[in-house]
Amino acid sequence: MQVNDLLEANVRIRDLKKDRVNFVLENVDLSFANSLRRVMMADIPTVAIDMVEFETNTTALPDEFIAHRLGMIPLVSANCDEAIRYSRDCTCLESCQNCSIELVLNVACNENRTMEINSNHLDVVARGGYGWREEVDDGEEIARRSENFGHPVGKSDPSAPPILICKIRKGQELRVRCIAKKGIAKEHAKWSPCSAVSFEYDPHNRLRHTTYWHETDIKKEWPLSANAEEEEPQRDDELFDYNAQPQKFYLEVETDGSLGPQEVVMKGLTELQTKLANLVLGLKSDPNELDALGGDGGAHLPPANGTATAQAAPRAASAAAAGWGQGQEAASGPGWGGTAGTPGVGDRSGSNSGWGTSPPAGGGTAWGGSSASAGPGASPSAGGWGANATSSAWGAAGSGWGTGSPARNTGWSSPTSQQQTQSGWNV
Amino acid sequence: MNASNAPNRYELFVLDEGEKPVEVTEDTKIPNAATIKVVKQDHTLANMIRGQLHAMPQVLFAGYKVPHPLQPYFLVKIQTDGTITPTAALEQACTKLIGTLSSLEAKFKREFSFKDVEGVTTEDAYGSSTAGPAWTSRRDYMDF
Repeated sequence: MQVNDLLEANVRIRDLKKDRVNFVLENVDLSFANSLRRVMMADIPTVAIDMVEFETNTTALPDEFIAHRLGMIPLVSANCDEAIRYSRDCTCLESCQNCSIELVLNVACNENRTMEINSNHLDVVARGGYGWREEVDDGEEIARRSENFGHPVGKSDPSAPPILICKIRKGQELRVRCIAKKGIAKEHAKWSPCSAVSFEYDPHNRLRHTTYWHETDIKKEWPLSANAEEEEPQRDDELFDYNAQPQKFYLEVETDGSLGPQEVVMKGLTELQTKLANLVLGLKSDPNELDALGGDGGAHLPPANGTATAQAAPRAASAAAAGWGQGQEAASGPGWGGTAGTPGVGDRSGSNSGWGTSPPAGGGTAWGGSSASAGPGASPSAGGWGANATSSAWGAAGSGWGTGSPARNTGWSSPTSQQQTQSGWNV
Repeated sequence: MNASNAPNRYELFVLDEGEKPVEVTEDTKIPNAATIKVVKQDHTLANMIRGQLHAMPQVLFAGYKVPHPLQPYFLVKIQTDGTITPTAALEQACTKLIGTLSSLEAKFKREFSFKDVEGVTTEDAYGSSTAGPAWTSRRDYMDF
């Protein structure tokens, strides 16, 4: 890790295609590379069909089935940040031209043959289609849309095969109205701009982050990946360097066409910076740091301050969701406004209930407890905190590919000789 | 419209009105230690911060956990050697990461512009599919 610190992060694009980019990331930490991968898959907004109204469906497939299939169709979402609002941020009640795209599908089969309904049959309704709805003024978003914004990917391209939605026979008909909205893949995977992200490091397994199952000879039974030629193979007499850190990461980002690969990568980097910046801002405006709520607090503080006094008491009493955390901690205490940074011991013990709500079964006390035996370095309770596993959820299956890095690190990456490593904390 | 009483899914990643993004709790038993709760964020942010904190010599301990997968927050526990507060350490780590990210962003931009010059269209990502299956080594890449 120290080594990573000295060298500057670097990137080399090996290949760029219409729908994919292949690059090598160097001199960054494993956790950093993994965060980039995760953010590209889960945090970049696109548009996708979110609501479907069925007028007629005499096909063999039930409504829900078709609605789900429609949702998965990638729609052109270029410049999504500026071209459309989130519905939750919009002033309209349900949907309007500023926060949604309307598409219709109207297909009937009148010939004596099987007919395919595909994504090219989806038509974006011109803005006149909103006439029956509440009147909403055009936002600035409308002007920022490209011509084919919200259209199914590949509709204008005869060489791209369309996506099959349903097959119908003579006399069957499908007539639906779809509302596409902006969202991110954390909410539903249909909003992910990526169809696949491959992630590999250490192709020769010098770091022994993986164990190969084998009959007799690992080298014969496990062919090297294409990335192996980028790195030196391990000599047979080479000793295992247990301090080594992965340095080079091989990524390929494949998009579904809703966004271009360049946009996905750049937005991913921006999104990570936004997350970090918001955290720094939150730290700076923390009452523990600043006694007075100065102008430093940024845009979100003043309203927070206004509601705080009114809400602190009822929230703490009803043990509702965290909200004003400090208020919860000290029961009906002074809320966040307490001057001293450290809550008293009495407050701490009162906060146990706060901790108790969160862990899964067996999580129990952990370090937050006020039990006297919890000295420095005492290992937190073992069970229950095993949050490591979740990080692999996003990673594609298969050894060495995209599995979550946290699990890998435990045990040997602790920066000091502290004895606290094996405790479910991702140190 | 929404007939069920299920909470909105976006509540997993959007702060409630007036909700504070971070909450710092200083440790009462361990010197120079604090637990910082960051809400509406997940492993993406937490693990990256943890990794960066490990690279700082002032930090004796840094670890994070997501106590429950259904509850959208994580906790970072930081202990420092006393030359710097845990909060300041976290802030430094974040600033450092932002720096790395923006330098990487510039490098990405440069690399992408190379590819544009070499005639690969990236603007129209939705056009004809000439996309072959795999990347072809570094044939068309020019390192300067």
